[in-house]
Amino acid sequence: MKRRLSAGNYLVLLCAFAFFVVPMIAAIEFSLRGDQGTTHGLSNYRWILAQEGFGANLFTSARLAAITAILVLLLMVPTIVYLHLGGARWKRIIEFICLVPLVVPVISYAMGVATAMPIFLQSTVYELSFLYVIVTMPYTYRALDVGLSSIPLLTLVEASKSAGATMRQTLVLVVMPSIRSAINGAIFLSVALALGEFTLAVLLHWDTFPTWINNVAQSNVLGAVSLSVFSLVGAWLVVLVVAVGPKSKHSDQNQEA
Amino acid sequence: MSHVVAERTNALNKGAGPLSYIRRGGALVSLLPLIPFLAFIGYFLAFPLAFIVRDSFLDNDKHFTLHNFALCFQGVYGHSFLVSVRLSVISAFIGAVAGAFIAHSIMRTGQRTRRAVAATSSVLANTGGVPLAFMFIASFGAQGLVTKLLKFLGWDLYGGSFTLFSAAGVTFVYCFFQIPLMVLIFSPALENMKPEWREASDSLGGTPFTYFRRIAIPVLFPAFLSTSLLLFANAFSAYATARAMTSGTLPLMPLLIGNLVDGNVIANEKHLGHALAVCMIGVSVIVMTIYALVLRYSKVKK
Amino acid sequence: MSNQHGISVNLQGVTKTYGTVVALNNFNLDIAPGELVALLGPSGCGKTTALRILAGLDTQHSGQILVDGKDIVGVPANKRNMGMVFQAYSLFPTMTVLENIAYGMRVRHISKEKQVARANELLELVGLQETGKRLSHQLSGGQQQRVALARALAIEPSVLLLDEPLSALDAQVRTQLRDEIKRIQTEVGTTTLFVTHDQEEAMAIADRVGVMRHGVLEQCASPQAVYLNPINVSVAKFVGAMNLLPAVVTTNNELEIYGQSVGWRNPDGLTARSGRALVRPEQLLLGSPTTDRPANAIVTNQTFLGPLTRISAKVMSDGNTLHVEMPSIEASDYPIGKNVVVTIQATSVLLDA
Repeated sequence: MKRRLSAGNYLVLLCAFAFFVVPMIAAIEFSLRGDQGTTHGLSNYRWILAQEGFGANLFTSARLAAITAILVLLLMVPTIVYLHLGGARWKRIIEFICLVPLVVPVISYAMGVATAMPIFLQSTVYELSFLYVIVTMPYTYRALDVGLSSIPLLTLVEASKSAGATMRQTLVLVVMPSIRSAINGAIFLSVALALGEFTLAVLLHWDTFPTWINNVAQSNVLGAVSLSVFSLVGAWLVVLVVAVGPKSKHSDQNQEA
Repeated sequence: MSHVVAERTNALNKGAGPLSYIRRGGALVSLLPLIPFLAFIGYFLAFPLAFIVRDSFLDNDKHFTLHNFALCFQGVYGHSFLVSVRLSVISAFIGAVAGAFIAHSIMRTGQRTRRAVAATSSVLANTGGVPLAFMFIASFGAQGLVTKLLKFLGWDLYGGSFTLFSAAGVTFVYCFFQIPLMVLIFSPALENMKPEWREASDSLGGTPFTYFRRIAIPVLFPAFLSTSLLLFANAFSAYATARAMTSGTLPLMPLLIGNLVDGNVIANEKHLGHALAVCMIGVSVIVMTIYALVLRYSKVKK
Repeated sequence: MSNQHGISVNLQGVTKTYGTVVALNNFNLDIAPGELVALLGPSGCGKTTALRILAGLDTQHSGQILVDGKDIVGVPANKRNMGMVFQAYSLFPTMTVLENIAYGMRVRHISKEKQVARANELLELVGLQETGKRLSHQLSGGQQQRVALARALAIEPSVLLLDEPLSALDAQVRTQLRDEIKRIQTEVGTTTLFVTHDQEEAMAIADRVGVMRHGVLEQCASPQAVYLNPINVSVAKFVGAMNLLPAVVTTNNELEIYGQSVGWRNPDGLTARSGRALVRPEQLLLGSPTTDRPANAIVTNQTFLGPLTRISAKVMSDGNTLHVEMPSIEASDYPIGKNVVVTIQATSVLLDA
């Protein structure tokens, strides 16, 4: 049964709403200001689009995100499936290893990478993907592990094998479709990280969309704010649509037993 | 669910099932399918970490020394360590308290509202970074709309010593991702509070206060404490927002390390950076270990 | 420790709506001191609402609630002194079993020694002496419900309220705990209201069973009376299995079913002259067919139920399938495919028009 909100609840929610929404509105207002701060318009957004590197860097970040997601799936799905089958005795230790990036601050990791492999990281920006796989590993491991725990994996694999499928066919045709939502979750996590990651990119001297925003800000704060608003509000709207979506049949029902 | 997993593991241990051949050769053979993963981890995680840990104990002549760590707690570095800890504690505390209140209030709204809040929180908690910094510059900076509005209302934000680019300002901005993170992680704990507990307490003669003190607080405290620790670690290692806001001028541990990575390294400070990075890891490991212990010894089991 | 005298409970004209849904419609229920009444009905019939209103966890829109003759409307839940057992998950997870049981005494500031003594006494009553130091997640579902019962009894409640306390348990534990609740309730003598959707459970445990539908108490009587003399068609259909047989009212005001005359009751004030008669499986007998009668049937299935066997037979004249229950030792006389004649052995059946 849905309880009614008290005055205190409303006060808290109102304050929270103000704290989170007022800066957003103020930033939107700021991003719409004209040259002298007297007029409003889309001039800053037009300015962004005209900037050299906008499309290129956005494209770079998108490619990075895609490569990261593919690497995550290639590396993590077979590994975790194996941990749920024949390799169960290694599950605890692998689980622990996957949590290590959570306790290593990205800044320390950046330091380590910069000193340990200076040559490797100088050929192409897409090598950042390998590092992003490490940084997202605690989250992607968890998403996939929960997904695999919720299906009768051994039975499915045995059924597929007895029907004559190879292990690779089993993975692609049986296992992956049955944990689709977990895989979507892992992809979503790695894409979100790769699109927004700043620390590793800037410290290893690569240009991605987030570092480009930072560079743009040096010459035009208005432009940087517009870009920030654009990316924050954009990400928020996408997630909101995905999460809330159309009104589902089962939502908002009061049940009485 | 757990007994299904146990059954499955049992079946495997007895050597049943089509995959039993994998184990026939013993432990080492069963590691073979994990080689790609272990190689990846080894090269991209263990190798860099081992590298900085080793270098943090070396002087410029590659001799063993503890001097680097001694330097970490002196002068500008010791100061930045304190500033970082203070900033993290304060922002974790504000985030935890405000987030807990918000999560509690949201519990009573409809399902769609709750989902929208969860989605918003996950965006705000994760995509902070550079855009967040500029959003605050735009609204609370000297020319920002909020600043102008407050001035119109008679409060000159910049009349005193406040600037958005100080430790206080950065703490304030961090709340913008700390509070949503708290809401995100603490809400499930609140959702696990059974209405039956409140009703049982009422029917047994308990007042709302006894319910709060005897049941709600003991049940929620481990989740509250552990999430607060998570918020601390989160603020302690945050880099992007602080750097974008202050261009790396604020004395914060991550910013100092960033400057050292970035080049401009004075020769004798080369290994100091490694030591600082290791210290950061150390603090984080301590905090996260307490986090894990709190969760393990909490009496409430899922 | 027992509450020998018990306390009477009267709910009078209680009405409660959720939005447009009427949960209780002018609901009346009287429970005698020390009596155990079970409210039985499908989900959504308002039985839980009645219990929660009595507990003070919900408020009614109108009506009176008298406990021991005193109106308790407006008294908050924590002042009503009623012990409540919930469906599941109601034990406080951070407290041990003993602390859970002592909770009600603790909030009443009863001395620590008395708390411990009485909690142990109750633990023994529910047969869990060994578990006092454990936490709720270390107990089985059945044990958790025993502790919940002990906790509810610890405050010497004026009324014990049980809200589907067995429905989350396995079948075997369910019957065992059901009998135990009955034993304990008889022993302490506390007036008890028990809510369930399981008719077998209600029949087994209650002094009186109250059958509810659409927020109204349709019949409240002993289990035997509810089963043998249901007050109307809806009660008859809800409690126990029923055959629906085509029937016509004859001129001398009897029912004619498959050519047989049967006595009937008309509590619903029917004016219709035909409909379907409600006959229980054990009120039908099978025999060998003699001539071509409308009650001739052929056995289509046998279901072995232990001491009884349910035989399904298809009536030749209209194709209806009837269910007949008989002692299993007699059932071998009626194998599948055998031709039989169905005889109705009932004196006061109900008609559903």
